[in-house]
Amino acid sequence: MATVTLTNVAKRFGAFEVVHGANIDIADGEFVVFVGPSGCGKSTLLRMIAGLEDISGGKIAIGGKVVNDIEPADRGIAMVFQSYALYPHMSVEQNLSFGLRMTGNPKADTDRRVKRAAEILRISELMDRRPKKLSGGQRQRVAIGRAIVREPQVFLFDEPLSNLDAELRVQMRVEISRLHKELGATMVYVTHDQTEAMTLADRIVVLRGGHVEQIGRPLDLYDNPDNMFVAGFVGSPKMNFIKAHIVGRDARGVVVELAGEEKTRITQPLAETAPEPGSKVIVGVRPEHFGGAGEGDADLTVAIDVVEHLGGTSFLYARTANGEDVVIQRDAAKVPDTSEITVSIRKSYLFDEKGLRLR
Amino acid sequence: MRNRNATAYRFLTPYLLIFAIFWVWPIISSFLISFQATRTVPWRFAPGFNWGRLIGDPAFFNALKNTLLILVIQVPVMIALAMVMAVLLNSPLLKARGLYRFAFFAPVVVGEVAYSAVFRLMFSLDFGVVDKLLNSIGLPKVDWFSNVTPAMALIMIAVTWRWAGYNAIILLAGMQSIPEDVYEAATLDRVSKLKQFFYITLPLLKPVIVFCAVLSIIGTMQLFTEPFLITERGGPGGGTETLGLLLYRQGFRSLNFGYASAVAYTMAALAIAITLVQLWLTREPK
Ligand SMILES: Nc1ncnc2c1ncn2[C@@H]1O[C@H](COP(=O)(O)OP(=O)(O)OP(=O)(O)O)[C@@H](O)[C@H]1O
Ligand SMILES: [Mg+2]
Repeated sequence: MATVTLTNVAKRFGAFEVVHGANIDIADGEFVVFVGPSGCGKSTLLRMIAGLEDISGGKIAIGGKVVNDIEPADRGIAMVFQSYALYPHMSVEQNLSFGLRMTGNPKADTDRRVKRAAEILRISELMDRRPKKLSGGQRQRVAIGRAIVREPQVFLFDEPLSNLDAELRVQMRVEISRLHKELGATMVYVTHDQTEAMTLADRIVVLRGGHVEQIGRPLDLYDNPDNMFVAGFVGSPKMNFIKAHIVGRDARGVVVELAGEEKTRITQPLAETAPEPGSKVIVGVRPEHFGGAGEGDADLTVAIDVVEHLGGTSFLYARTANGEDVVIQRDAAKVPDTSEITVSIRKSYLFDEKGLRLR
Repeated sequence: MRNRNATAYRFLTPYLLIFAIFWVWPIISSFLISFQATRTVPWRFAPGFNWGRLIGDPAFFNALKNTLLILVIQVPVMIALAMVMAVLLNSPLLKARGLYRFAFFAPVVVGEVAYSAVFRLMFSLDFGVVDKLLNSIGLPKVDWFSNVTPAMALIMIAVTWRWAGYNAIILLAGMQSIPEDVYEAATLDRVSKLKQFFYITLPLLKPVIVFCAVLSIIGTMQLFTEPFLITERGGPGGGTETLGLLLYRQGFRSLNFGYASAVAYTMAALAIAITLVQLWLTREPK
């Protein structure tokens, strides 16, 4: 078990900087998920922790010890690759034991570790098969097994579930959660899937373009995003962003009027440093934070384009009078037959023009 | 569907005709000729004439012995060398990769006569650069052309020089198809680079190695240019005569087509037999 500390970690490929001074503190036994869009540097960060990429700047410490110049095998980590990276010419048993056999680990100990990993992952009946003859989920288990056998202090996962179909992904997600509880090891997990991040993580690190946008517990990110990017990334379907401007201040806070909707005014309790009246802002509303007419701060009438029925709930794809797209979540029973609907905004977030949260 | 096939075959007809006349027919025809006595006019059918001669002909066994000797020494040495070259080409430390790749491949495209002439010069007794080099490090002069053992060695060196780079390029392509993350996983498992080569690269490259070996065996079975041009028609005194050379001597010097055909079929049968044995020895375990 160990902590992982990244201090001002940077990565350059030639002159091209892909990670810009990341600061991340991972506690002992914590499950941390790096999430962000494709190309934001998630894998690069993980590979720097593993030692597969050199560190261009800053420091990485594992268990309090700086590992910048320590060989990958001596860092006490194990990694599960997106493509599994199993040895194709070896049986499952050989895949699991290969590293230990090559380094002269005593045979009895190797056997014990392999047996334990196989039991944890329920792959004991597959030990004689080659990877080619395994299903995607089974290969994934073997890849995880190979990590377990190393008995590492830190597990690193790089999009381990992205090659699996939706159903298997949910199943393996639960297994990985269980594994974390069972082993109690520190785990760093990379994904671009926000659902995976929300369900697995103790804390989430949201990355964009090589910058850390926000670090926090899943519900903190959901309830209290620092900026529009995080607000849009966490939650599904994503938060609606509607143009607005500030019209004044009253006893409860700043009054905001949605663009083109003179009657829709929202009051937000903001600090004294709120922008001047007249400044443009953006109001963020999650699909699930629209209520029935009159239930919230202000009402809004929108034209319905498409309705998606998912059973219990439905999503309405609609447009405001100003022509902005919004997604509204409703109980299936409360979806009207009309082409218009009036909803209220029960909860909203305010962002400035640069996308930073105003609070 | 049938209609489409018919159209396709019509387009293929010119090729198929040429293929039948210049490929299939000669193969059949030479098989038939191998059963005829061709030193008489007209030729007559005499099944035992050529084949009977073959199994008792010391010249044939000499050529067979030389060919197999070259095969068992040169092919493994060359493939080992090609492997080393491929590993070097694949190394991330290598600068000017393209240049080396070209240099390794170049011998294949150099004209056979030109390369043979250069080898003769390099190994010549009086002004050859090789003997100068041997001399300068205190080794005695070697007369490469008038003794059998050095002459055989010379043939093997020449063939290896010519084809090692070619095989290295094939092996390199095989190496590059092994995914990088398998090596990364092994590195995290604390497996050294050397062990990675023996336990990961070699086993995964086995099909490619077998392919190179089969190509080389077939090539060496037909070896002709080097003993013809470099050691002057299998010299000294037939000491480097190969089956290919024997075939040439019988067919085109003595115009004994029947016997030459029998030798040709023996060469083909041997190449097939050796290849099958090899494929069987290196087959994938079930
Ligand atoms: N070896 C390399 N040389 C140059 N640039 C690289 C190299 N590896 C990655 N990059 C660049 O670094 C950036 C981050 O890559 P990285 O693989 O970390 O993204 P990622 O967040 O894992 O994306 P994905 O979700 O698609 O896997 C990308 O812009 C990529 O093009
Ligand atoms: Mg990635």
